[in-house]
Amino acid sequence: MTDHQWSELAAPYALGALAPDERERFEAHLAECAACRGEVHSLREVAVLLADAAPAATLPSGLRDRILREARQIRPLRSGRAPVIPWLAAAASLVLAVGLGYVYVRERGTLQRVNAALAERDSLIATVFSPDVVTAALTATGKPPSARLYWNPSRHRIVMAVFQLPPASTGRTYQLWAIAQGKPVSLGVFNTAADGRLTAAMAVPPDLTFELAAVTEEPAGGSPAPTQQPFLIGKVTPAD
Amino acid sequence: MLDDQQGPLRTPDRALVERMAGGDERALGDLYDRHGEMAYSLALAVARERADAEEIVADAFGQAWRNAASYDPGRGSVAGWLATITRTRALDLVRARGRRARAMERAAQTDGDGLASTMGAAADSPDRRIERGEARRLVARSLGELPDPQRRVIELAYFGGLSQSEIAAELREPLGTVKTRMRAGMQKLRGSLAALLPGGGP
Repeated sequence: MTDHQWSELAAPYALGALAPDERERFEAHLAECAACRGEVHSLREVAVLLADAAPAATLPSGLRDRILREARQIRPLRSGRAPVIPWLAAAASLVLAVGLGYVYVRERGTLQRVNAALAERDSLIATVFSPDVVTAALTATGKPPSARLYWNPSRHRIVMAVFQLPPASTGRTYQLWAIAQGKPVSLGVFNTAADGRLTAAMAVPPDLTFELAAVTEEPAGGSPAPTQQPFLIGKVTPAD
Repeated sequence: MLDDQQGPLRTPDRALVERMAGGDERALGDLYDRHGEMAYSLALAVARERADAEEIVADAFGQAWRNAASYDPGRGSVAGWLATITRTRALDLVRARGRRARAMERAAQTDGDGLASTMGAAADSPDRRIERGEARRLVARSLGELPDPQRRVIELAYFGGLSQSEIAAELREPLGTVKTRMRAGMQKLRGSLAALLPGGGP
């Protein structure tokens, strides 16, 4: 491709109008061509101004309150690029935890249990390491306890890893909720081990999509609706 | 895009985003007061349904709130960052609904009567904010002054999220023609919008 042909791509690139393969090739070129980088940078500034060409519309009442209400439930991330590493680390620790469970079961000596454990592990791994998995970090106020969810929509399953959460007292349980359009839907009850940890898989109703997940403490057996404010909450985001 | 040009006493947008990264909800409210209308208008121009536009803007500001720490001033203004988030969310939603084809048709049908001329009427609405109105009028006028074929390919790309090949198919024009128009149109806009571009102030 000649230089002239490359520079033709700056305008469509700035407008996001290149096909994926074309965009990749152009980005490779941009890495080594300062002139094209400059052209892209300046045309991007122009593209951004196009937002102002949208016909002015009156803001819906209540939208401001809604945005602030939702923000109150979610703490800003320390860094926008951070989630990748904790995600991998949490996934790795999860596989490790499941692996240890496998060893433990094998020492018990029953082949059936080994097979069940292997199937469970395969299923957990398949749930977590899927390209379409979405993840949610459930936190209190940045302090322990915390939990991480891996929701695999195509398998209708959630894998949950909980950290530093003391077991619920006698007669009480923890309950995981999906918040769909402001309405909590129970995904199941759980309890942690003495070390404050838990790795568990739960089924998600096939038609349910949700934006937030939360954990409350409830009477044993769980509640049809939360009886108290969640102590862990987090927003569901694609894992990338 | 209008950003930090509102006089010396106004908190710069950048400072609001820094406060958001520290968890300050009032900064988020201030950012919404400044740019919510731009985001909503953009979301509505792309999605064309008010309920969808509301979801998109709530989502976009939620994303800005969560990812405030990742905003990089070196890569452009806060308003531009918000516009990019909003447009991406809006195009995602439109694509997910498979509604792009219809939105596209309507955009293509508005021959010589596209967004730029709708803008003329909207600019006279009493609830517009003066300072935004200035920038908007200039952008709308500049877009309106482009030859129609150039304006249409730019609108289909920006508001319709179409690639050059999709635009060529939609308009039944050769791909080379679309490329030439897009490039010429964008370069003209860069000239006429120089006053709004970084380093191009009066």
